[in-house]
Amino acid sequence: MLVPDNSRAIEDEVLKWRFKRGSREALSRIYEKYVHLLLSIAMGLPNDPHEAEDVVQDVFVSFARGAGDFRLKGSLKAYLAASVVNRVRDRARRERFRQNQRDGAGAASLDLCEPDERLVYDERCRRLVEALAQLPCEQREVVVLKIKDGMKLKDIARLQGVSVSTVHGRYRYGMDKLRALWDGEV
Amino acid sequence: MSTKDRFEDIVRKDLEVHAGDGTCDCMRRIILAAYGSTERTKIPTFARRMVMDKRVVKFALAAVIVAAVVLGLFEFLSPVGSSGVVWAEVGKKVQASQGVIFRAVSRDTPDPHGSEFDYRIDHYTATQSRLDKYKGDKIITSIYGDCNTKTTVLVDHIHKSFVKMADQQTMPDTLRMDPNSMVQRFLSCKHKELGEQTIDGVLCEGIETTDPAFHGGKNPPESLMARIWVSVETGYPVRIEGDYGRDNGQRRFTFVQDQFQWAVDLSSDSFEPNIPAGYLDISP
Repeated sequence: MLVPDNSRAIEDEVLKWRFKRGSREALSRIYEKYVHLLLSIAMGLPNDPHEAEDVVQDVFVSFARGAGDFRLKGSLKAYLAASVVNRVRDRARRERFRQNQRDGAGAASLDLCEPDERLVYDERCRRLVEALAQLPCEQREVVVLKIKDGMKLKDIARLQGVSVSTVHGRYRYGMDKLRALWDGEV
Repeated sequence: MSTKDRFEDIVRKDLEVHAGDGTCDCMRRIILAAYGSTERTKIPTFARRMVMDKRVVKFALAAVIVAAVVLGLFEFLSPVGSSGVVWAEVGKKVQASQGVIFRAVSRDTPDPHGSEFDYRIDHYTATQSRLDKYKGDKIITSIYGDCNTKTTVLVDHIHKSFVKMADQQTMPDTLRMDPNSMVQRFLSCKHKELGEQTIDGVLCEGIETTDPAFHGGKNPPESLMARIWVSVETGYPVRIEGDYGRDNGQRRFTFVQDQFQWAVDLSSDSFEPNIPAGYLDISP
């Protein structure tokens, strides 16, 4: 006795369709459905809590403003997750640029801030984000998107502009290092 | 579970961030305001759409709630084996039942959209399903599932629209939300007997589980309680109920399945999507 597992996809198709046609309820529902997932992804890439909040808000505001021109054939969840990744990259690039202008140094340190009451996460999450921060960003993206978002390797490969085998390698190396870091702490 | 899988589970579970209520509301206001400004710039072309949209608003809410109920149920189902002595017969009977019809009621708390339907009547065979959502005695939405063709069709009978989705590769492994799989899971999980109780006028025996394995999915709830009551006379389930909690109990999912009709011979016609002429196709 089985029932197809695509009700989530069906719901998203309805939401996309209604969102394009001006439904605030649809946008509100999309927001409720994905805000926590996107915050988790944004934290894991990693960001500090303030950055994560800003990134996710930017993604949704941009999404809302683009309603009139919105066209999406694929997965809404993957689209929003990819938007977070791109937004994080943009912010990191801007930050590097600013940092270079300030002192000629390299990439900005994306260290964690103190836990923010505006976002809720526990100590294990904080430690995990710290461990993720030690991975190269390409590996970090693959690990977070594959595990947290459930994105397929081929879709991550498209997002990163590399082959699936490269993504697979990044995932494997990333997980090995993350596991070693985690085991070292626990 | 392998070490690799366990660590993936750790990452999946521990990398969990939520916006506080105030932050969540604030962000929503900002986002909706951004959307509102977009809407205002599009009034000339939007006016005609609004006529359609009023129809669709209710449809989408209905679809959202149906999907939420279905998705909620998906969360606690997975394939398992059978065990037990008396109850093992229940597992066999249920497995042998060709078709089953029952009523399903479920609630998510909090549910910001409110519960827009009262109950569902679900039909299942081994490969097909139909979930009809009711408000009062009026059917408002139907979801048809076919594992052979891997398609799902959602039909909104109020707003005369339908969506068809196909090609779900993961379907066979993840679609076990029916009473049959629930019974098998009850039997294989650690449980305690509840003794006899009369349920809907039927003398039943029940078991209760709080075993996290009952969930079986990748994202189990923090707390879980599920009960099944089986008729002493027929050996078929009469009522299945559950209560799952997340976020220290702030989010809850409760469900009840009752009014079972077991061993029903459901023809394939029962699962043929009923899409009257003139319904709008909003499939992707």
